[in-house]
Amino acid sequence: MGMASMSSGSESLRLCVFDLRRGQNEGQELDKILFFYPPDQTFSTQLSVIGLSEGLITFTRLFSPEAACEVIEAERHSHVFYEAEPDIWMVMVVEKNKEIEAIWRVDALQRILKEVHSLFVMFHGSIRALLEKEPTGGLTRSHLYPFITDYLNDLFVGKKLQLPSFRETLKERGTVQMLTLARDAAIEVQSLVGVLDSCAGTVRCHSMILFHDLLVSTTLSPDDTVDVFTYSVMRLTRNAISSGTSSWSYLRKGSTLSQISSRSSSPQLLGSSDPSLPSGNGNNAGRVIRPLQHDKWSKGTDGFLVTDIWGRDATPTILLQQTQERVYLLTYQYKNLTLVLLVPDNAIVNGELDISFVKHQVIENASAKILKVEEKITKGWGGENAYHVSGYRYLIVDTDMEVSRASPPGKVATLAKETLLAQNKLRETVDTEKSRTKEEKDMEISIRAKNNAWVMARLTRGKELYMALEKASETLLDATDSVQSFSHKYCSGVFSMD
Amino acid sequence: MPSRISSSQPSAGSGALSHVYIQHPCLRCDIPESSGLFYDDANRLLICTTSSQVFSWQTDPFDPVVPPSVDSISEGPILSIRFSLDKKAIAVQRSDCEIQFFHRETKQTLTHKCKAGSESILGFFWSDSPLCDLAVVKTSGMDLFACDSMLNLRLVETRKVNVNWYTYTHETRLVLLASGLQCKTISAFQVSNAGVVRLPKFEMIMTKSESNSKPILSSGDVHLVTVYGRIYCLQVDREAMLLHTYRFYRDAVVPQGSLPIYSSKLSVSVVDNVLLVHQIDAKVVIIYDIFVDSRAPVSAPLPLLWRGHQGSDTSSQATIKENENSESSTSNENVAMYEDAWTFLVPDLILDQTNKVLWRVNLDLEAISASSSDRTSLLDFLQRRKVEANKAKQLCLGIARAIILERRPATQVTQAIDVLVKAYSFSVKAGTYKETKNERTTATTPTVGASPDNERDRPSGSSIDEDVEMNLPSGSEENMICADEQQESQLSSAAISPDELYKFVFASVEETMVEEPEYLIAIITQFLRSISAEKLKVDLNIYVMTIRLLARSKRFAELSLFTTNKIIEPSKEVALQLLESGRQNLRIRKLGLDMLRQLSLHHDYITCLVQDGYYLEALRYAQKHKVTSVRSSLYLEAAFASNDLQHLAAILRVLTELIPGFKETTEYFTFHGLLNETSSSVAV
Repeated sequence: MGMASMSSGSESLRLCVFDLRRGQNEGQELDKILFFYPPDQTFSTQLSVIGLSEGLITFTRLFSPEAACEVIEAERHSHVFYEAEPDIWMVMVVEKNKEIEAIWRVDALQRILKEVHSLFVMFHGSIRALLEKEPTGGLTRSHLYPFITDYLNDLFVGKKLQLPSFRETLKERGTVQMLTLARDAAIEVQSLVGVLDSCAGTVRCHSMILFHDLLVSTTLSPDDTVDVFTYSVMRLTRNAISSGTSSWSYLRKGSTLSQISSRSSSPQLLGSSDPSLPSGNGNNAGRVIRPLQHDKWSKGTDGFLVTDIWGRDATPTILLQQTQERVYLLTYQYKNLTLVLLVPDNAIVNGELDISFVKHQVIENASAKILKVEEKITKGWGGENAYHVSGYRYLIVDTDMEVSRASPPGKVATLAKETLLAQNKLRETVDTEKSRTKEEKDMEISIRAKNNAWVMARLTRGKELYMALEKASETLLDATDSVQSFSHKYCSGVFSMD
Repeated sequence: MPSRISSSQPSAGSGALSHVYIQHPCLRCDIPESSGLFYDDANRLLICTTSSQVFSWQTDPFDPVVPPSVDSISEGPILSIRFSLDKKAIAVQRSDCEIQFFHRETKQTLTHKCKAGSESILGFFWSDSPLCDLAVVKTSGMDLFACDSMLNLRLVETRKVNVNWYTYTHETRLVLLASGLQCKTISAFQVSNAGVVRLPKFEMIMTKSESNSKPILSSGDVHLVTVYGRIYCLQVDREAMLLHTYRFYRDAVVPQGSLPIYSSKLSVSVVDNVLLVHQIDAKVVIIYDIFVDSRAPVSAPLPLLWRGHQGSDTSSQATIKENENSESSTSNENVAMYEDAWTFLVPDLILDQTNKVLWRVNLDLEAISASSSDRTSLLDFLQRRKVEANKAKQLCLGIARAIILERRPATQVTQAIDVLVKAYSFSVKAGTYKETKNERTTATTPTVGASPDNERDRPSGSSIDEDVEMNLPSGSEENMICADEQQESQLSSAAISPDELYKFVFASVEETMVEEPEYLIAIITQFLRSISAEKLKVDLNIYVMTIRLLARSKRFAELSLFTTNKIIEPSKEVALQLLESGRQNLRIRKLGLDMLRQLSLHHDYITCLVQDGYYLEALRYAQKHKVTSVRSSLYLEAAFASNDLQHLAAILRVLTELIPGFKETTEYFTFHGLLNETSSSVAV
């Protein structure tokens, strides 16, 4: 539900990653292909998709050297472009299905590309760096294939790949959802953060705390926060570990995907499907790490999460965007509280010995505080529908903090299709307007949909509010008043401009 | 710690390490031809008697140069002497069967006698109970008398108990009557203004040894003390080398564990609710703070110290009496510590019978804090000090600063801060904070009474004139055993308010911690947690400082969480600091702007918007909220600088509507002119 579903057949989705700096000579074209989905396509098919994309990029760059094309709408396909790194492009080709559900927002699709790339960089470093490390591209391919495939697995429901459609218009991928805390709880949390900070001795650790799938605190920059948060909600939180339980986060859709994972999960299989590419675990460390593999994390007896993704008893490291430092990722879980501790690698001299020391410090120094924080938060927690405001269906995005809050999906689902389509259209208009003028603009748009519902957008200095009101009798004045009072009550008056 | 006791310590001079001291000048009570020294604990009077005169010195407040008051009484032996609580009469025990009363004004005299032979008087004390004014303890029990202004005694109640010895302190209003072969069966009564409360009989613990299967408890081995308003009895068990403690509740006497002792001769003092156990043979004193359950000493056993003059001008103040024994001020050898003739008086006095001087025992808080390594318990200890509250407070502030500057682990500092904040919160609730009544007020009604010290209790037997009828009123027993409430009502406190903590600790260390704000942030966070847990308010400067520190360490994520979660409470100062710190980070600047708007600080909000280039939004906001205080040229200059003539024109029009008479201002002319000029030049 809520997704444009399509068969996993060859036509519906193609996703490729290629490097414009490679394979520029005739006969070496295959060199530029870094990733192609579905993997069983022939080279000629792959080359034709990539060739077309390359042509479009080159052509549009003539007019806009800084920002080449974002989307090309053909008769039967949409091509969504994303320049992940200089000259490294990700292109998604989606079929314009006859099914009415296949209506999406380009920005939402682009955000998928952005998300998978950010996650990849977080674990493996930039694609360019990998290419420079191993110029044949084999290493890069062997990392990209399992990573993106594992990521796409999350978009499958059964055998169907579901891309975010207009039904998800009141959601924003690539943002963080936060828990609202009372002051005293917030102080307890920060006091816990202070303790976690110092768990590795003199070197300060970063940390992130989640409650259920909501962010409680972070010491990371917004970009890093989004990445670690996304990964946590996908794989680390209690809901993620005990997959199969009800999921109300958009980040975790398909929890039953045995079918696809078995088909594409093993890197050997992927490597062998394309004999011209070096086998996945051929050259270097001997083994490709697949951080997005499903059902690989579990809670250990000491409360820390364990996995064998990085090898037996090996602790994963990730790369922070802002500081470009590598940090060890430790995850501690207590009830619905998930604590992600990021220990700078210069604090870890003796490998796992130091890691277990840090773990010991966490248990020693923070246990009591963790208990207290969990208790306080649970007491004040309003449940899955805590942020439902009756009569309103809304999405608030703070683009500065990369934070969003929305009506619960169950409530959004009660909206009529016309309303959602209108809202989707409105968002697309706003997206276009935003990308046209790069600076922050105030914007107010209110549109009456065919079914007499009001869909509205309010933008002011980095904050966005999208809202759908379905009370047909309401005049524009009523609708505006509703936005006003919502803004006063829930957004401390941010959107209250007349 | 107790095991490290050093019994060979000589009597200490001024340079020695010590936690407890007596200080020159002492109170001299060296009256020629004196025949006896007594202490009236109810009136805190030191009494020196000659054959026909009574000299008495007020010892509280302790003033070495206070002159004695002199009364004349008839000649005769004096076993004990006590002033009545209103100080109008003096009672003198002449023998074991006779007590004489002298009215100080009317010079009236009255003699009270008991039946000779069958019973003897052990002692007596005055009482402020509504039931009786005087209690006489005899070998057969305790008689309670009412006494009128004419000194007529009327027996109101008799408690029949076989008594070997008794002990009483006015501070506790508690009399312990010892009976039995070993004198360890105790009947206790509290004769307070709530009436006479009888406590259940109880047995003291006496360990048997092979050589002595029936050790006998003497009155000198039992001490009644009051600490923190609670009444304890301390009992020496020589065989076991333990000091047993018992606490008195209204209906029970509960053993509270035992303290080890290192001397067969022992005495106790209480200074500022701290228990000092003088190990007389070992010549050391051990300090206990029995507020908490822990029976560990506050610090290591150290000798009692004698301190000479402080400052050179003290000698000029010396009294005439001092000349008699002037060498004591020049060499400390003359003050031999723990002489045999020392008598320890309740609660904190030492009477040297040989030299006829009275010392007061003092705690050296500085020395205690210098030698204690556990900062948390030390702060806890200092916060409970009342006598030198200001010194304790300064020491606490110093310790708090030091542990931060020493970069002690954050958990330790947190504990320390918790102690201080809790103590403050407690003192606010108790109403003691900031009160500066330093004087300890004693019972206003003077009494003559026996001191609880051993010498005072020798038995005497003689017949008594039972001219008072026997009354047996039903004593109400539901009264609470409580200590002298005046004792607790003195009140300056060492508590440190959050604002003072900010000012004297955090703000003062900020400068030196400037290179590593991380640590200070962690400490401040814990401080805020502590404050919030106690529901206290804090100076907003701490918020401003927190923002500064977080911004300096580039912890913007946390800064925004601190702000959005209102850990940093909104205020204009906070908003301005956010704007200031936001120079490095636009997100933070926006938080400051949002705060200005939420606080409805329209003028500042609009000014900031214009500064950030949002002059249209600013004007729109001004229009909506009818804000005319912002200089109109601000908008106009911003629009003109952005080279947008349409905007400039629009702004001129809006301002014309917003500000009455705008069209007559110079700004209007200037910018209207500029507009016409430019547009015409464009047109051309």
